[in-house]
Amino acid sequence: MGVMRIGHINLRVLDMVAARKHYEEILGLMPSAEDDKGNVYLKGWDEWDKYSIMLSASDRAGMNHVAYKVESDGDLDELKSRIIEYGLDVEMVPPGTLPFCGRALRFWMPSGHLMYLYAEKEFVGKAVGVNNPDPWPDGLKGAGVHWLDHCLLICELDPPSGINKVADNTRFFTEVLGFRLTEQIMAGPDHTVQAAAFLARTTTPHDIAFVGGPTLGLHHCSFFLDEWADVLKAADVLGKNKVKIDVTPQRHGITRGATSYFFDPSGNRNETFAGLGYLSQPDMPVITWTEEEIGSAIFFHTGELNPAFTTVYTEGV
Amino acid sequence: MTETTATGNYRVHLVDTGESYSCPANRTLLNAMVALGRQGIPSGCHGGGCGVCKVHILQGEVTTLAMSRAHVSKEEEAIGYALACRTYPISDVVLKVVGRMRKSVVYRYGFI
Repeated sequence: MGVMRIGHINLRVLDMVAARKHYEEILGLMPSAEDDKGNVYLKGWDEWDKYSIMLSASDRAGMNHVAYKVESDGDLDELKSRIIEYGLDVEMVPPGTLPFCGRALRFWMPSGHLMYLYAEKEFVGKAVGVNNPDPWPDGLKGAGVHWLDHCLLICELDPPSGINKVADNTRFFTEVLGFRLTEQIMAGPDHTVQAAAFLARTTTPHDIAFVGGPTLGLHHCSFFLDEWADVLKAADVLGKNKVKIDVTPQRHGITRGATSYFFDPSGNRNETFAGLGYLSQPDMPVITWTEEEIGSAIFFHTGELNPAFTTVYTEGV
Repeated sequence: MTETTATGNYRVHLVDTGESYSCPANRTLLNAMVALGRQGIPSGCHGGGCGVCKVHILQGEVTTLAMSRAHVSKEEEAIGYALACRTYPISDVVLKVVGRMRKSVVYRYGFI
């Protein structure tokens, strides 16, 4: 029971035509709906629910909210009680408030990011179906990403002022939402400041991550690919389309994932992520990286932290 | 996208460093700078979303694409502020760099 996985993220884009070209032609997501407000809904070919990306036109880039799917409708009542008991404001919103979804819990994370939990979303099915399916469908565009894998949120971190929203979120997600801490970066004197946290509900290394920064924001949302060669090919697709690449393919120390970072046409950072790194289990010991090794933790080959990593991001609310 | 069908080359002068570089009319001020391996304007998302490449156009004419209002307000845009990644020159340009990467070289606490 409880939270299963990331369900969708609602991104704000400055130019819907450019955004659709990016997410549909370059990443290879498939459009599944468009509503009367102009919001566009997209899914990966390997996903079965109606959408994992909701694009909303805006004059500010960033994210409106992120939503996670729980296993059963009754979980929402249980989680609502636990969230209230923890001391956060939470509201049960009626079906349809989240488009194509059943009733949902709406609340702000301790970091200030808006989050929903829902149990039901309109079913569409995988592109290959369920009866004697092919391993992948014909006609995939661009990188042909499988699914939305996780998101990384920038959380306010200012230890001299006693502010550590990374730690606040980690506590809430582990104690209330049942996430497991898989990896963390400990910084500051005596390595007592939790500067980044990676948390999972699935058996993957992370389903959400929090990294400290000056203000809350959206660092990236990540799309799954099978393997390293797929990440390289995805980067070819980005190059062919002159997409701004932030980090060319390499490996994360944290999660061991093969990665490439790039930006959508509104400056929202995306990632293509391959390899599940390792099996994450409830009894797996937490992996800790110390401040001196931050470079290797994030970019294992170069061992150097790209200065854009925590400076360049879009709005988180 | 960062290319248009406009033609011609213009000089971009940075008053901060006294340097200048050539920018084709079909490339943004930022894209032309990084393509040359030059520095001076901080390079971020190249999509008008993160704001690190904010500049003040002091002289010259430009056209711009949509920029996040989180970083350039309508009032600022009216007096020449822009994000270099969204800005195409239509004449020689003189600009001052406003945006910053996080200024601390040594992070106090890991990332920040």
